[in-house]
Amino acid sequence: MFTRRHLLSTTFALGLAAALGLPAHAQDKLPVVATFSILGDMVASVGGDRVAVTTLVGPDGDAHVYQPTPADARALADAKVAFVNGLAFEGWMERLLAASEYDGPVVVTTEGVVPLEFHQEHGQEDESAEADHDHAHDGTAEADHDHDHEQSAAGAHAHDHGGVDPHAWQSLANARLYVANIADGLIAADPEGTDAYAANRDAYLAEIDALDAEIRALVESLPENRRAVVTSHDAFGYFGDAYGLTFEAPQGMSTEAEASAADVAALIRQIRGEGIPAVFVENITDRRLLDQIASETGATIGGTLYSDALSGPDGPAGTYLDMMRSNIRTLSAALSS
Amino acid sequence: MIWDALAGPFVEFGFMRRALLGAVAIALGATPVGVFLMLRRMSLTGDAMAHAILPGAAIGYLFAGLSLGAMTLGGLVAGLAVAALAGLVARVTTLREDASLAAFYLISLAAGVLIVSMRGSNVDLMHVLFGTVLALDDAALILLCSITTVSLLALALLFRPLVLECADPLFLRSVSGLSALTHFVFLALVVLNLVGGFHALGTLMAVGIMILPAAAARFWARGVGAMIGVAVVVALLAGFAGLLLSYHFGLPSGPAIILCAGAAYAASLIVGPEGGIIARHWPRRHLEA
Amino acid sequence: MTALAFRNLTLGYDRHPAVHHLDAEIGAGSLTAIVGPNGAGKSTLLKAITGALKPFEGTLDRAGRSHGDIAYLPQQAEIDRGFPIGVRDLVAMGLWRETGPFRAIGRAQAARIDAAIAAVGLSGFENRQIGALSGGQMQRCLFARLLLQDAEVVLLDEPFAAIDAKTVADLIDVVRRWHGEGRTIVAVLHDLETVKAHFPRTLMLAREMVAHGPTASVVTPENLLRARRMCEAFDEAAPVCDRSAA
Repeated sequence: MFTRRHLLSTTFALGLAAALGLPAHAQDKLPVVATFSILGDMVASVGGDRVAVTTLVGPDGDAHVYQPTPADARALADAKVAFVNGLAFEGWMERLLAASEYDGPVVVTTEGVVPLEFHQEHGQEDESAEADHDHAHDGTAEADHDHDHEQSAAGAHAHDHGGVDPHAWQSLANARLYVANIADGLIAADPEGTDAYAANRDAYLAEIDALDAEIRALVESLPENRRAVVTSHDAFGYFGDAYGLTFEAPQGMSTEAEASAADVAALIRQIRGEGIPAVFVENITDRRLLDQIASETGATIGGTLYSDALSGPDGPAGTYLDMMRSNIRTLSAALSS
Repeated sequence: MIWDALAGPFVEFGFMRRALLGAVAIALGATPVGVFLMLRRMSLTGDAMAHAILPGAAIGYLFAGLSLGAMTLGGLVAGLAVAALAGLVARVTTLREDASLAAFYLISLAAGVLIVSMRGSNVDLMHVLFGTVLALDDAALILLCSITTVSLLALALLFRPLVLECADPLFLRSVSGLSALTHFVFLALVVLNLVGGFHALGTLMAVGIMILPAAAARFWARGVGAMIGVAVVVALLAGFAGLLLSYHFGLPSGPAIILCAGAAYAASLIVGPEGGIIARHWPRRHLEA
Repeated sequence: MTALAFRNLTLGYDRHPAVHHLDAEIGAGSLTAIVGPNGAGKSTLLKAITGALKPFEGTLDRAGRSHGDIAYLPQQAEIDRGFPIGVRDLVAMGLWRETGPFRAIGRAQAARIDAAIAAVGLSGFENRQIGALSGGQMQRCLFARLLLQDAEVVLLDEPFAAIDAKTVADLIDVVRRWHGEGRTIVAVLHDLETVKAHFPRTLMLAREMVAHGPTASVVTPENLLRARRMCEAFDEAAPVCDRSAA
């Protein structure tokens, strides 16, 4: 028989259960940090609703020359997992890690990737020639907001890539490794979400496979002698290696390098000699050098390629998959005409 | 054979010809300004100015995105403002030119960093803003040549007051009211050449071509006119030699040019007849009267 | 006729007066020496006449003359000796009033430059850099410039300090020649013998005026004693001066 007392106590019990049960669902998201936009997108895709991603170098940003801010240090200090590319891409990351006193796990997404060596520079093979394009961020260069990108006699910039191309994400096969590493990292930090992460990862991998097939098909359709491309800096080594295209660039591995007249001249000769029809500007670099090369050789500007960063969310390359898709479409449109 | 090595690259490639033209333009325009800069003990102004233009470029970016024109214009305005304020303070108060310039460029730089950070942008503005001598498009060449023309005209007109302003400013003030105008026009020329140079050629080349040939000329010439002449010749040769080195040996172009100028400076330091090291330590035998 | 008139003139630095309520007149065509102890305000007075200093109080009447009519020789230290300019070019600057900043120097003017250089005994030094000149030679060079300025009023601030006797004698000849041409000359001097020998009138200043008139009656032991009693240092605890026009 329902008395008022029953009603009250039931209501009370239900309320209590709800109050106790709610926290279980209103869980805080896992705060993570990704160094640049491409990684950030991948992490968000695998992490889904369970993670809150802070990206340090945003869309259209140049991670080669990025200078971290105190806000970055704070974000890192609050994070539970940090995702970096590795292969010496983020030269500034070590200092930032030290400065923020972050002591959580650092997931190197290129774990397991077979790195490509330095791209051959127009016949100059030995290390000393590469040394021109070697850069290292030394402490003094970062300490001040001194955007002195010319090699000054005193503070010689030398990137120590260890002779290795860091742009591994340009190959979808490597992207699969990235995604796997990301998923492992998230699962380790947040075991409760294992199922969600695994599901997201598998779905993403399926999309990657589909895109990979699409790219191969498009490349196959290009005539054999139309598979050479000129762009701003050597960012597409892995892409070319995976899909059978050749990429040339006047600037070396990093946007911080300065082109030499010899490099530009060799490139122009090559374009003329091989009849390369189009050059491509990038979203993160100054396009004036490419414009100059294009006007001198009669090649056209084939479009914009996205090398080291996504475009803004409204742009054609707002996510990693969109970026790869946009690149191959831009390339094939220009090369097959 | 020699001809091929020296002239061949310029004959074969358009970008080399344009680079040479750009180097010539800046040698003619910026170097004479640099001689006066050095004589007024303001040689470090170039580096200061590279930082001072940041807020202008940042505001240009805020309004027009990654438009080089907007950012260069903004940088120019900021540079002129800093130079004008520094000059004004130096004239009206006891603070000297170097200190007042340092004060204003630091304030300007801080403001620039603030603006960039508040906007939350990741774009490295300055990286995009600074060009390279190998990528001189028509707009950049026109900019450089215009600035050179303006500089040469202004220097020719204001030569006498400028010399007097450096040598005996009190006298100039006592005979003419042009003192202030001369001072500010000179500062404007400095900013113009620097900002135009940054845009077209990058910081290193713009500042380097202004200062190094002037420093080298000090050891060869006595009067101001001769000093300017020697400096311009040094700058022209450095541009030519640097481009050739960049072409034949794969060196980055800007640094190559500046290192050639630097080599000229080092050589002048040692063998220059006006106070060079050899001239000082092993002087020629003295005359009878 | 008066060339310069000082009425209740008070000048100074940082609220402390260097020239205090000065009333005096310099007649046109006169050759006047200004003497007094160190810190008496002599150089300050000359600077005010050129217009470089604004008075605290009182007026300075130049009888309608402008910049171009007053030639001023400052103490040497203010010129950048390291600047690469030759004697001839520096002297030529004296022609500013005629050539302005742009006009070239004509044949007749070039001859006058040479004449001025010869008049001060610097012939042969035309191409010498000013940095290579001795103290005396530099002073001659500046006098040559003054010659070319052809001004009605000439102000000289310690023109013979640390200069050799021959140069002093030669430059005094130039001054006398100016005096003969009817120019008004005011010179700050320390050497009382020179003053007594060559300057008909004297103004003795010790922040306030001590005496003004013919040299013989001004440069007396009593006046010198009075002047010496002036305190050199500014009084940090001095009250605000409420003296009205004397």
